Amino acid sequence: MGPARWTSPARTPLAPIAAPSRLRAHAIAVGAVAVVTALGFALEPSLSPSDVPLLYLLAILIGALGGRGPGLTASALSVAAFDFFFVPPRFTLAVSDLHAWITFGVMFAVGLAIGDLVVRLRRQETATHEVELRAQAEALRNALLSSVSHDLRTPLAAITGMATSLRDAGVVPPSHRDEVDTIIEEAQRLSRILTNLLAVTKVETGAAPRREWVPLEEIVGVALARLEDELAGREVSVEIAADVLAHVDPILVEQLLVNLLDNASKHTDAGTPLAIRAHRETNRAVLEVADRGGGLPPGPSDRLFDRFERGPTLTAGTGLGLAVCRGVAVAHGGGIDALPREGGGAVLRAWFPDDGAPPSLADEAA
Amino acid sequence: MTAMPGPAPTGDLILIVEDEPPMRRFLRAALTSHGFRVAEAGTLEAAERAATEAPPAAILLDLGLPDGDGVEFLRRVRGWSTAPVIVVSARDREDDKVIALDAGADDYLTKPFGTSELLARIRVALRHARGRSLGADDPVVTVGPIRIDHARHEVAMAGTAVHLTPIEFRLLALLARHAGKVLTHRQLLHEVWGPRATHHSHYLRVHMAALRRKLEADPARPRWLTTEAGVGYRLRDE
Repeated sequence: MGPARWTSPARTPLAPIAAPSRLRAHAIAVGAVAVVTALGFALEPSLSPSDVPLLYLLAILIGALGGRGPGLTASALSVAAFDFFFVPPRFTLAVSDLHAWITFGVMFAVGLAIGDLVVRLRRQETATHEVELRAQAEALRNALLSSVSHDLRTPLAAITGMATSLRDAGVVPPSHRDEVDTIIEEAQRLSRILTNLLAVTKVETGAAPRREWVPLEEIVGVALARLEDELAGREVSVEIAADVLAHVDPILVEQLLVNLLDNASKHTDAGTPLAIRAHRETNRAVLEVADRGGGLPPGPSDRLFDRFERGPTLTAGTGLGLAVCRGVAVAHGGGIDALPREGGGAVLRAWFPDDGAPPSLADEAA
Repeated sequence: MTAMPGPAPTGDLILIVEDEPPMRRFLRAALTSHGFRVAEAGTLEAAERAATEAPPAAILLDLGLPDGDGVEFLRRVRGWSTAPVIVVSARDREDDKVIALDAGADDYLTKPFGTSELLARIRVALRHARGRSLGADDPVVTVGPIRIDHARHEVAMAGTAVHLTPIEFRLLALLARHAGKVLTHRQLLHEVWGPRATHHSHYLRVHMAALRRKLEADPARPRWLTTEAGVGYRLRDE
């Protein structure tokens, strides 16, 4: 399987209407004022004095279409040009008339208002565009999810099913039971890798986690049940104070915990104990998996969570598991880190900030 | 399609609705070797035809069929059949399962699954289908070591009385009435808290946690009150 970049949606087809470059927009503003000034001169004999400011408003409108800055440029130049060329005393910047000041004020206000409107419109357009892009990514992800789910899981389900049929029917001679068990285990492993690939597409397309208030104990229970075979023969202690709630997407955090436990069981000696701990801190829940293995590999501990980074021991894995863990934690606005454990081993710790206040159960007496 | 006679041709007839031949072969082999008769259909249209020709005792329905919406099929089947429907679907498709269960499916299987899981689901579904016609409203219900006395509102775990709050009692009684079967969050909330509470799933989760602390030896490894991730809860009965 190639790197998971196939989740990247095509981003080209819907570029937002390009905002003209700043320099160009200012040049257009200057040009518009120059043209209007020339026009004003050329048509002056047939224009009434009150028509000239209207011509300048046109120049300001054209300038302001380039945004707030060009709008201001067009307004300032228009006021200056109007004053210099048309307001008596002409060909000076002096102003003798109160009316002219009012015209100047209106010209500035119009320039600012239109420039502002244009900026706001353009921002809205960009936002709409981003929403469209996200919807496209989401649609692509869903298409991918259903096709991968169906095309890969169906053969896997047939393999698992038939292998368990063979095992359960008692027709396999003892000398070959290992092979049948291995078929089942490996099919299950493939299935887990698939689940992780799908989880990566989920967290990487940036879809918001579906948060609920969940007792972490419940998530622990589901994860332990899913890893029953892998954790057989190991002592796994669970230390969770009663009522530790987390505000998380339970499916994603279950996958995170499965991956942490799976990782710990792969990189430590069979039979060494594991511990799952959870507690609440102010406005966040913390979930930890601790082992008594050989401790953390040398180097920055962040690298553990990079995709396709694999531990020092020669065990199977795609290096995807811990990357999914980080993806899940980050999708919740939280994080994950790895620390040496007192007395030997490592602690992998993920935290999930609340997004909102914990629910009250006061009104439950239905 | 026709029914395939197995070693015990008198067994219950199970209709397999699945378009992938290898998957169908597995289901057919697993079911016939355990005494069931099977009928097979690769499309929803064929499934409807098969189900009307020979009414099945239970239906295994793959939700990923090419010719349409399994939920639509469910709704139509529910119009004329009470046969339990077990939907088959992949992990990561929890929403589909919930929609199917809320639309009248009785249970689900997540691919990949083994023969023992398959047979356990079918056994439970057939038992409930029979219980429905018998009217299983016993005042005292026993599920594994859990004994529920509806008349006295008393619960005992392995012979020891356990004090439950009224909500916990209703929750447990509901799960026990459907013992072995999954109930969705929505179904549980609707029955216990009423139609306006179906979005308050944290109520349910918190009370299930409390129930586990009272009934399970190790609440983080529930033996009886299991969580069906993304779907709901199940009170196991074996």
